[in-house]
Amino acid sequence: MINRRTLLAGAGLAAGALPRFAIGQADNRPSITVAVQKISNTNTLEPLREQSNVGERVLLTSIWEGLLGRDYSRQLQTIPVLATEVRRISDSIVEVKLREGVRFHNGDELTAEDVAASFGNDRMFGPQGPNSSGTIRVGEVNPARAGRELPIEVPAVANRSFPGFERIEVVDKYTLRWVNRTPDVTLEGRMARYGAEIHSRRGFAEAATWLDWGRKPVTTGPYMVAEFRPDTSLTLVAHDSYWAGRPPLKQLRFVEVPEVASRINGLLSGEYHFACDIPPDQITGIERNRAFEVQGGTIPNHRLTVFDKTHAVLRNPLVRRAFTHAIDRQAIVESLWAGRTTIPRGLQWEFYGEMFQADWEVPKYDVAEARRLLREAGYKGEPIPYRLLNNYYTNQTPTAQVLVEMWRAAGLNVQIEMKENWSQILERSPTRAVRDWSNSGLYSDPVSSLVNQHGPNGQQQQVGEYENAEFNQLSVELETSTDRARRRAVFRRMLEIAEREDPAYTVLHQNATFTAKRKEIRWKAAPAFAMDFRANNWGA
Amino acid sequence: MLRFLATRLLRAAVTVVLVVTFAFVVLRLSGDPAQIIMGADAPPEAVEAFRRAWGLDDPIWMQYLRYFGAIIGGDLGRSMRDGRDAIALVAERIPATLALTIPALLIKLCIGIPAGITAALHRNSPIDRAVMVLAVAGFTVPSFVLGLLLVLVFAVQLGWLPSGGQESWRHAVLPILTLGIGGAAVLARFTRSAMLEVLGQPYIRTASAKGVPWRAVVWGHALPNAAIPTVTIIGFMVGSLIAGAVVVESVFSWPGVGRLLVVAVANRDLAVVQCVLLLVAGTMVTANLVVDLLYGALDPRLRSQARGA
Repeated sequence: MINRRTLLAGAGLAAGALPRFAIGQADNRPSITVAVQKISNTNTLEPLREQSNVGERVLLTSIWEGLLGRDYSRQLQTIPVLATEVRRISDSIVEVKLREGVRFHNGDELTAEDVAASFGNDRMFGPQGPNSSGTIRVGEVNPARAGRELPIEVPAVANRSFPGFERIEVVDKYTLRWVNRTPDVTLEGRMARYGAEIHSRRGFAEAATWLDWGRKPVTTGPYMVAEFRPDTSLTLVAHDSYWAGRPPLKQLRFVEVPEVASRINGLLSGEYHFACDIPPDQITGIERNRAFEVQGGTIPNHRLTVFDKTHAVLRNPLVRRAFTHAIDRQAIVESLWAGRTTIPRGLQWEFYGEMFQADWEVPKYDVAEARRLLREAGYKGEPIPYRLLNNYYTNQTPTAQVLVEMWRAAGLNVQIEMKENWSQILERSPTRAVRDWSNSGLYSDPVSSLVNQHGPNGQQQQVGEYENAEFNQLSVELETSTDRARRRAVFRRMLEIAEREDPAYTVLHQNATFTAKRKEIRWKAAPAFAMDFRANNWGA
Repeated sequence: MLRFLATRLLRAAVTVVLVVTFAFVVLRLSGDPAQIIMGADAPPEAVEAFRRAWGLDDPIWMQYLRYFGAIIGGDLGRSMRDGRDAIALVAERIPATLALTIPALLIKLCIGIPAGITAALHRNSPIDRAVMVLAVAGFTVPSFVLGLLLVLVFAVQLGWLPSGGQESWRHAVLPILTLGIGGAAVLARFTRSAMLEVLGQPYIRTASAKGVPWRAVVWGHALPNAAIPTVTIIGFMVGSLIAGAVVVESVFSWPGVGRLLVVAVANRDLAVVQCVLLLVAGTMVTANLVVDLLYGALDPRLRSQARGA
């Protein structure tokens, strides 16, 4: 007869036996190697320090997770990850219920205290707390915190990422409240953004130095850091207590192979299972071998041509408008990207949800209109410098050469000036006029792109390229308004100003990234830099 | 001898100061490390914070004096990328580089010198032409092309060796061959030229006319005299042990000093670049000093000149 006592005893026995059974099993999961151009620009694995696309690839989905995240199997919509419920208490307070039973790499259970520590001064804002702007000089070390000082730029990045953040209130073990000093309708989006990931409080406290922690963070992700050799390799191993199921790979190794030819050769010779950062012109060559395929495509990043409004010729918006109409974007996509990317609807993405302006378009390709605008502007063929980096972006130099010819066809005399680095590109001088850039949609709201990059505190205005009083006023409104209908109208007007009336930039195409792999590996590239090696994207 | 050494050391010190100064000026005037390290999308306030923190907002002459003063005090600074000591960063890469360049140097010596001597002794014969064709091919093909060709053949087609990385001794074979073949070709050409010049000298003819066996003429008279220009090239190769594999390390993803230098220059990580340059300059200067001393050992005329002085 089965009674409660025997059932419990049986359950206890089974619980004791299961781990032994698991340990006794042979681990037949594959170990794979991924060749990338760069693992981490800063040689750390902390998103707030490693603010780059390459960092996103290895850090997101494999190591780090946030309260909210993005759906990499679809179109990057915001989805719950470590949170199960997010509820608005007011315009400036959000209550979050945590997923129960989530384990960190060190075995600790995720609690609200870990979330508070992740958004705490020790990790994010430094001793001066959120919304401060002071800087400690390198060398001015507080002996009590030797080795644990935050890298200088981390508080600045944190303040930019979470403006108005005040504190995390711990309600109970699995409940917390995000309290902002100012109303912000984008809080949920900011919780899902790169940089808002959660770490183990104990893991952080036990690391001897910030750098030790930054190179081996203790998080909840499906893979944990086994070894990180800066500029060389990053070895991750399965975190078998992962809340969403046992990871499908025993070991995931990223190796840094700077040369594209070497990455492709290593893939073809069987050393690497994946080769990332494949230029579009190599796709055909790789796929000529039927055992291999190139996957990937658009990512949430748009390539732009940016204007310096203070340049003598570009001061007149008609000239800038002529630039925008003289570009045959489809020809660029077809010829340089083999048609494997798209022309977006301006600086926005569909995952903006209700803020997405579905009927908005980039300026129409119309050479006659461009010529008319130049005549009206009284442009007499004065040279316009175009500062260019050599293929910092995929296809950057050929795109620039094509653009210059398209602009020439419309009557614009644009002259390429090759530069070596961003500092030379951005240097203020009368010869700064046209340059390249790309903008990302960091979360599901236009504040993450249009305001963040082109608003009063964005790079374009901070380096002195652009200013528009109405645009700036609307930027503030978009950031602070809680009226959703009004925000949508404000965003529309901002697009009209920045892309049509008084162009700050013009969108060329969506960026894309390509990954080569053996065809037999069943894995799908996400519409992002992040590479998803979780169970639902392996062998399916 | 002491005066000779003192002069050379002074010259070496001036060379190192010039290298450091030149590198500082070129790197600092051609880009702002803060903007480069932080990237194109970094928030302006983060870039500004970085600049202030590392003292990049000070006048450049002040930065130079501060940097130079620190070097004199033995402090080569810290990497702006991860805050680590530049010396430690560079030191941990040196073994990886030497693991390539020392075997490659041995290949250069073992193949290049015998090949050059053989070609010279068989001047205008098919052997000479064959050796020179290979030598010309060896030093005209850039190392990145040679490296990729070797990878295509031995890694992709034959599957015998890995195409890159540093996991085992097998990973070192192709980069060592790439470095060794090019260097051997250079050495073969220099050795041949030096030998041909010596073999045309009257004292060689005299020795032969006296009935000295040809082998003895070559070993006793030709080789020592031909050694001086060859030793100069070998000295240069020894001096390049630390930084002579920049391209090859990139092609084969070998984490040595060369790759560190490429990344540091690209990021304008001044302390690391300067540290590598100091190391390279030091190695080169030391190698030159040793070569100068060897001249004296190899050439009795130089010894007597030194005594006379």
